[in-house]
Amino acid sequence: MTKQTFLHDKHIALGARMVDFAGWDMPVQYSSIIEEHKTVREAVGLFDVSHMGELIVYGEDSLPFLNKLVPQDISKLIDLKAVYCQLTNKKGGIIDDLIVYKLEDKKYLVIVNASRIDEDLNWMVRNKCGFDVTIVNESHNYSLLAVQGPKACELIKSLGVETLPAFFNIKRSELFNINLWISRTGYTGEDGVEILVRNEFSEYLWDKLLEAGKAFGIKPIGLGARDTLRLEAALHLYGNDLDENTTPVEAGLAWSVSKTKTEDYNGKKVILEQLASGTDKKLIGLKMCDKSIARHGYEIFYNNEKIGNVTSGGISPIRGDNIALAYIKNLDNLAVGSTIQILIRDKLHDAEIIKRPFVEKKNKS
Amino acid sequence: MNESMLCTKTHEYVLEQDGKYEVGITDYAIEQLGDIVFVELPEVGTEFSKNEAFATIESVKAASEIYMPISGKVVEINEEIVNSPELLNDDSYENKWFVKIESSAPQVEFADLLDYSDYKEEIE
Repeated sequence: MTKQTFLHDKHIALGARMVDFAGWDMPVQYSSIIEEHKTVREAVGLFDVSHMGELIVYGEDSLPFLNKLVPQDISKLIDLKAVYCQLTNKKGGIIDDLIVYKLEDKKYLVIVNASRIDEDLNWMVRNKCGFDVTIVNESHNYSLLAVQGPKACELIKSLGVETLPAFFNIKRSELFNINLWISRTGYTGEDGVEILVRNEFSEYLWDKLLEAGKAFGIKPIGLGARDTLRLEAALHLYGNDLDENTTPVEAGLAWSVSKTKTEDYNGKKVILEQLASGTDKKLIGLKMCDKSIARHGYEIFYNNEKIGNVTSGGISPIRGDNIALAYIKNLDNLAVGSTIQILIRDKLHDAEIIKRPFVEKKNKS
Repeated sequence: MNESMLCTKTHEYVLEQDGKYEVGITDYAIEQLGDIVFVELPEVGTEFSKNEAFATIESVKAASEIYMPISGKVVEINEEIVNSPELLNDDSYENKWFVKIESSAPQVEFADLLDYSDYKEEIE
């Protein structure tokens, strides 16, 4: 049966078109994906991302346990600081990408993709042997609301939060007399926050944010615009751009792999070897040279040889052209500026390899 | 929408005008697609049989093929919607047809087409 977030009635009342996403009945758009996209780039948008999973990991060995699971160095986290991570398998393939927050000594919050909660929990339990650690799935108790855009922080501050957490930090706070967590994170490339709140308060908070946000031009934003926003920001989508056969190094995420961590972790051998001597495939950013649109799965050619596939593609409402993320064979002569071809409905269309992200990120710390 | 148009269950329409037929997609289809960002039309002179894909339309989310409601030869295409696909989402824009065809389709090809009121009932 399709699951619903606690905000489901709100989406219906706002006239959202609903779609199934990872087993959840979620709003794909309220008005128009392009309009919603521009609202987030120019003002502020409110997203219901309550389908995402929240896990609490605590106990004496919570730090060494997490350090065994991810290539990042969790020991570097100070209280209330977060890090973007991947849960890797023994071959370095990505089981999920997630954010780990250190809430306090020996207690961590892990936010994971809705589609991967079961796999993540299974993997964590399989790796738990010998560690004094407890994993609690809190997903069904919490809602997650994202407030994103150039006006997002101004809006939250206007509600009485004097100091917002710094980029990739979280703090306990209060909005409209509701206790909640505010995290300076997001999935749009804009500045903004994600608010973790107990389910019973989420409808009230949603209404209040829309009301208070009016002066800032707030609009509710569906998953359609969430996807075009993250694509412009060249942020990976699990299942499209990341999977169990792709390592963080291949995915262009080497920046998020610790080069100094001494502890062993799942996939360390493969990942270190790839860091040292390169990979067979690599993630690239593309722009189409004509008006055609690359989509997930389309084949990529170079000199009449198939060299890869598009993993995410679509329009860029801000650039006005069409962009894509793709994996190609790691050929030396293919770099930013090179032209390759994408097979679209039996015809080859030129595309140029360009730098990622596709638009300037506004959420630098 | 013009009441004398005939529609397919896959949301195309055909409308006879001055001995030619205008072919496009219904308002309902456009609304369901949301923002339309790409339209590809065939070349003038191309012949299509009934139910053959003749055009591609893309929304932000996905690409869809558009099928010929009846057989015929393309005699005119709507360049405006190729150059500005967003016109299809514009309520004030009226020329939302895709192609005009010449057709000598036998009556049997019309048998499964719905008149507009039946189509509306079908989609409700």
